[in-house]
Amino acid sequence: MLILLSVATVFSACSFDEEYGSEFFAMDTVMTINAYGKNSKNAVKSAEKEILALDELLSVTNENSDVYKLNKEKSLKLSEETVELINRGQEISNLTNGAFDITTEPLSRAWGFYSNLKNHIPSKKELNKAFRGIGSEHIKINKNTITLDKNTFIDLGGIAKGYASNKSADILKKNGIESAIISLGGNVRTVGTKPDGSLWNVGIADPDDNSKEIGVVAVDNKAVITSGGYQRYFEQRGKKYHHIINPKTGYPAESGLKSVTVISDDDTLADGLSTALFVMGLDKAKELYQKSGNLFDCVLITDDNRIFITDNIKNNFSSEKDFEIL
Amino acid sequence: MKNSTWIIIFSVVIVICCGLWLLISNSSYSFKIVGIYQNGELVERINLDTVTEQRKIILNGDHGNNTILVTNEHIKMESADCPDKICVKHGELTENTTPIVCLPNRIVIKFENSNNNSDVDIKAGAAG
Repeated sequence: MLILLSVATVFSACSFDEEYGSEFFAMDTVMTINAYGKNSKNAVKSAEKEILALDELLSVTNENSDVYKLNKEKSLKLSEETVELINRGQEISNLTNGAFDITTEPLSRAWGFYSNLKNHIPSKKELNKAFRGIGSEHIKINKNTITLDKNTFIDLGGIAKGYASNKSADILKKNGIESAIISLGGNVRTVGTKPDGSLWNVGIADPDDNSKEIGVVAVDNKAVITSGGYQRYFEQRGKKYHHIINPKTGYPAESGLKSVTVISDDDTLADGLSTALFVMGLDKAKELYQKSGNLFDCVLITDDNRIFITDNIKNNFSSEKDFEIL
Repeated sequence: MKNSTWIIIFSVVIVICCGLWLLISNSSYSFKIVGIYQNGELVERINLDTVTEQRKIILNGDHGNNTILVTNEHIKMESADCPDKICVKHGELTENTTPIVCLPNRIVIKFENSNNNSDVDIKAGAAG
């Protein structure tokens, strides 16, 4: 009897409060949302619905999306969400001096980095053609009406997942959820702390073997977003060409960094900055970090396997490897 | 009974319970149950420990076929008609790895209840 009682005690210690998880495909990736506490099922379902709705608006390939229609028509009155995201894109482009840019669609297209295209190395002629409409100055915003120059095409893919995770976190919180974890294709957002009150441990994929982690950062209520050349690439004549294109050169960025993780309250910023810092490289990333105050923290991994982290997260970061303060 | 006898009995019970708990939570058995999902729906659940003969599972999607190879203790995407072949490049599904994902054909292969010993709750930077 006593044994049974003790076993029951052990099991009850293991049992969790109400929890609900969902896994689904959207924005060309696989997404998971796990929420804990009462009302978790409704909360997760609402967040999922919001992400699918945003995917419909922001997809570059879906003929019914705002982005597709704008690229075709060049001047349109668009939904509030799309306009908000275009404004955020412009803001991040200015902040990073164009290292992040929402007008790089023709470059990604030239390299074949869309699901309906085949990867190839573009010719100089193709790149020059693509360059004609690149740059934030080719977008005009007048309230909800966006106008693009003739040769300009936008792709919000570099910030759409961040925007979606931010919106989902807001929906979960509005539904009374105090503990949840979201992964939109490896873009992580935490809501509150774990159900036991401890911080969420977010592993950072090892760029050389992403089945492993190179470090772990403990956070609550933050987005943790990583960009790396290892995530999408193709090989030709023994050389790897990854999907993060430098808007200035038209070629995959070779800045000396192989992985950039940005940690911030602002998911959209974290998403855009992870790409921008990857393009900018270590020195310029450091410069931007120093001048931007406490907007974000980051973990940078160089091609020669040095790990740099920002000072604010030094007590919440762990790694089996040595790391330095940026 | 004396107090010391009660303490001994209670200690033995605690040790047995801890042992049981460790056995359940760390059991390698739980690593070997793999779920194959397409469009979010379970296609098949396999206990890799009980696989005696190598076999192939072919799934059809919008971008052609995916061939999953199941052997004793191992599972991987052997081939795929999709353009990027990310699922094939993933290699075998291992204990601490992220799931094998084929985005074009919406297939996910993952350990069920992968109760690994890692302290990591989630991983940034690897889809799936």
